[in-house]
Amino acid sequence: MRARGIANEVEDFINDSLHQTINRPGPALSPRRRVFVVPIAAALLLARGARADEPPPSADPPASAQEPAPDPAPTPGDADGSGAKQEPGAGEPTEKNEDVTVTVRGRALVPSRGVSDFNLRVGELSRVPRQNAADLLKLAPGILLTNKGGDGHAEQVFLRGFDAREGQDIEFTAAGVPINEAGNLHGNGYADLHFIIPELVESLRVVEGPFDPRQGNFAVAGSAAYELGLARRGLTAKYTTGSFGTNRMLLTWGPTRESSHTFGGVELFDTSGFGMNRSARRGSTMGQYEGRLGSSGSYRIGGQAYTSHFKSAGVVRADDVESGRIGFYDTYDRRQGGDSSRYSVWGDVETKTGDVLLKQQVFFIMRDMRLRENFTGFLLDVQHPQQNPHPQRGDLLDLHVDSATVGARGSARWRTKAFGETQELELGYFARADRTASTQHRIEAGTDVPYLTETDLDSRLGNVGMYGDAGIRPVRWLTVRGGVRGDLFTFDVLDRCAQKTARQPSPANPPGDQSCLSQQDFGRYREPIERRGTASIAVLPRASILFGPFTGFTASVSAGRGVRSIDPVYINQDLETPFASVEAGDLGVSYARGIGDTELMVRSVFFRTHVDRDLIFSETAGRATLADGTTRTGWAFAVRATGPWFDQAANVTLVRSVFDDTHLLVPYVPDVVVRSDSAVHHELPWRPGGETLTGALAAGITYVGRRALPFGQRSDEIFTVDGSASVAWRNFEVALVATNLLDRRYRLSEFNFASDFRAAGQPTLVPARHFTAGAPRGVFLTLTMTLGGS
Amino acid sequence: MSARPDLVPSVPSRRWRIVRAATASVLLAIVALVLTACIGTTGSNLVTFDAYAAGPADVPPDTPTRGLSFVNGRGWSITLTRATLRIGAVYLNRSVPVSGGQERECFLPGVYVAQVLEGRDFDVLSPELQPFPARGSGTEDFAVTGEVWLTGGRVDALEDSTVIASVAGTATRGDESLRFEGTITIGSNRRAERTDPARPGANPLCAERIVTPIPVALTPRNTGALVVRVDPRAWFANVELGELEPVSPDSDLRIIPDDSSNQPATNLYRGLRAASGVYSFEWIP
Repeated sequence: MRARGIANEVEDFINDSLHQTINRPGPALSPRRRVFVVPIAAALLLARGARADEPPPSADPPASAQEPAPDPAPTPGDADGSGAKQEPGAGEPTEKNEDVTVTVRGRALVPSRGVSDFNLRVGELSRVPRQNAADLLKLAPGILLTNKGGDGHAEQVFLRGFDAREGQDIEFTAAGVPINEAGNLHGNGYADLHFIIPELVESLRVVEGPFDPRQGNFAVAGSAAYELGLARRGLTAKYTTGSFGTNRMLLTWGPTRESSHTFGGVELFDTSGFGMNRSARRGSTMGQYEGRLGSSGSYRIGGQAYTSHFKSAGVVRADDVESGRIGFYDTYDRRQGGDSSRYSVWGDVETKTGDVLLKQQVFFIMRDMRLRENFTGFLLDVQHPQQNPHPQRGDLLDLHVDSATVGARGSARWRTKAFGETQELELGYFARADRTASTQHRIEAGTDVPYLTETDLDSRLGNVGMYGDAGIRPVRWLTVRGGVRGDLFTFDVLDRCAQKTARQPSPANPPGDQSCLSQQDFGRYREPIERRGTASIAVLPRASILFGPFTGFTASVSAGRGVRSIDPVYINQDLETPFASVEAGDLGVSYARGIGDTELMVRSVFFRTHVDRDLIFSETAGRATLADGTTRTGWAFAVRATGPWFDQAANVTLVRSVFDDTHLLVPYVPDVVVRSDSAVHHELPWRPGGETLTGALAAGITYVGRRALPFGQRSDEIFTVDGSASVAWRNFEVALVATNLLDRRYRLSEFNFASDFRAAGQPTLVPARHFTAGAPRGVFLTLTMTLGGS
Repeated sequence: MSARPDLVPSVPSRRWRIVRAATASVLLAIVALVLTACIGTTGSNLVTFDAYAAGPADVPPDTPTRGLSFVNGRGWSITLTRATLRIGAVYLNRSVPVSGGQERECFLPGVYVAQVLEGRDFDVLSPELQPFPARGSGTEDFAVTGEVWLTGGRVDALEDSTVIASVAGTATRGDESLRFEGTITIGSNRRAERTDPARPGANPLCAERIVTPIPVALTPRNTGALVVRVDPRAWFANVELGELEPVSPDSDLRIIPDDSSNQPATNLYRGLRAASGVYSFEWIP
């Protein structure tokens, strides 16, 4: 009990230290205990870095743990803004006026943008079964993940009524490094998160809306920032085996004397997949070192490598499944699948000079992906007059993207006192250059050779942004936070297949089956290439007003504008607005309170967003294509309760998404999403070998309502339950994981479109229901061993 | 530690009134969202329907046994005793082909609103509705153009020996009288000569098998049925049966060749593929 008491004091000290001054009357510590508590606190803080454990949308910016922060910030249990937790008995100071000076290292937290700003600590909810790092997004409200392209294909993300596709409408970063791929032909902003090893994710910040001036390109529906770290120190080996021939090996290493942001990890994964044609193999490694820089700074250098090869079942037609022509988990085309790789390095520095906190980061990314998908069977290869006579040769598309990205970002944050409160101003920049080569071919069935080049682009894309972000606090209960961001997007696109058809081709030089022609109408010569360039600047005002906290309640109003640069395939010479913009606003209230040992966080928010030109998935093009403007209106609710033996998070999102011109629903978007993540953990009554035995149970429950589909249809509901049970003893842990515990046969993605898989005598040219199958029940056993750490 | 006095309402009941009002407003908004979130449509609707084909509606029911008599444009009094047609599929689409467009794809995904995929042979002398083997499907959108696919296999197959049409009957003009028979297939025998080396695919065989654009004005629905009526009289509109050679010097039987070797064969084939006057679509509730 005594040890537990000291532990609580250490925890309280850390929580308080993160948010309030160190050079002022501190938490109540007796001199004798201070000897123990302060160093331990410093060490633990080092170990976990700046803890981002679900703070409320605090009106006060969390201070960098490195700097003496003169202003206290309210915490979940903060009724009066003092920053002190309301633990019974914990607030009884014994020595009020004694200064304590502690240098605590860590990184500054980004100021909250209100109720839609979710700083998600994974914590014990890491026990909830998750397939990959993308699954962590489900901790935020309104997220649905689907995947129509296989285990190496990026997850399709639905967020607050947005079909953000494979990341095109969400700005993703990992350790501050951009993940969205500018110029990716499959979808501009495509974000493949499979390279992130889930065990190396320390926290996740999801901002559901463009409310932070730091958010850049693709932050239309919002942004998700993965913070990397390894809480489990020492050398850990994990092996998972189970259903579908799945095997996963993981090694992580976190030196005990370094911070949690110094780590290394490597993962190998192999599965045959469920049903037909869903095998996948991947390897990923990530490493980062955090070191000290002078007396008040730190730096990080990191790198990662990821490569995978995967197969994909694609879609099946519902009528074929119902008639027994094809199985629920089968495929029409076994050639579907792809390859994906990503290699990146990064380095950053954070240091404090006087009243100014300086940050600087540089990164370099090499990325390569290939997708082979067939959504329509034998439908699109219609006979063109210039072509030699041919039957339908098959619609399998072979898309390849090869890109390199270099960039940097930096900021300077200045804090001062005025009106008795802390006032802030941050100025920052972002710069990024992408060089992307993209091709898309159609592949002939039977011979597997390309017969048509649809796209061949060589793109050089630039993005330079700058922002100013102010935090003004005229009175204690009111904070106005916001600023303006400006982004310049430049496009230099070389289309190597600019001329695909010609009226009245030259009889002397018939183009025949060539895809990229060197003649235009009436046979006049031209080069098959064409270069197009344009540039545009987006000005993006963003602001949040926070009221409170009042007895745990904080209200906020946020508004902002975001952009998504347009796909290079749509660029025309000097097109004036090469981006789509979103205007978003929300109004919400949160309640954060410590109740005994339990931290409670509740949020409710109404939101409305408008996109001037949306992207809708096109099965014939095999990617998202431009559509008209859309508007979303909705409500999100989230609750998280964390106690000493449990952790519970749940959220509900209701949304209505409509086109501006017709007021018809936007297809594919879920209007009801419910998610629950639960974990309980406790010491068991047995003590084999005199050592503590700890047991844990966890469950993740997802419900998605019937989504609107094209042609007035609705999809099936999705209801899945995942669970895990684990036992830990000394340095060993064994866990049994079950996904889709109820073994429900469900359709993960559903579409309505025309296809012809030759099940009928003639082409089926009117829309029919297609779907990708969700995984059946899977059972997996995981063994974990940690050496030399904790 | 107590809360700051200036931030806490001094009258509890007043505070609770505010809380209650705020809670009620939020609940009202949530209820409104619940009610509206799960309703609405993306427009249109998927439908299925029965589909039939039949001969002309203006002939008596016993026509298949009595024969269909008419006078064609060449002055022949014809009595058709057999007229069957193989309809491979039927499609309706929402767009009208560009007038004068000589080059066209056989089909263009994205414009179709209805389809009947499984075909069969129909007796087009009978006005009775004869069902297609399978129901049709489509979207609840207004169709302006119909297509009748005259094929036994895939529409883009390089060869098809299926008999598309079979006719037989008698014809008289003045004191000239004859019997005739004929079958039509659409395979390599109908392949157009390549006249332009720059456009070898300008006249694909699939285009020979598709009769379009047939004017229609209907919206497919879940209730009701689609009827395709075929008038074989129009096939013979410009057929000069007198140009047919008898099968033997002492026979009155003339065979219409299955190619384009003479006027009767060519014009019968043209009549079969005429987009107006031969085929009509109607929707019966």
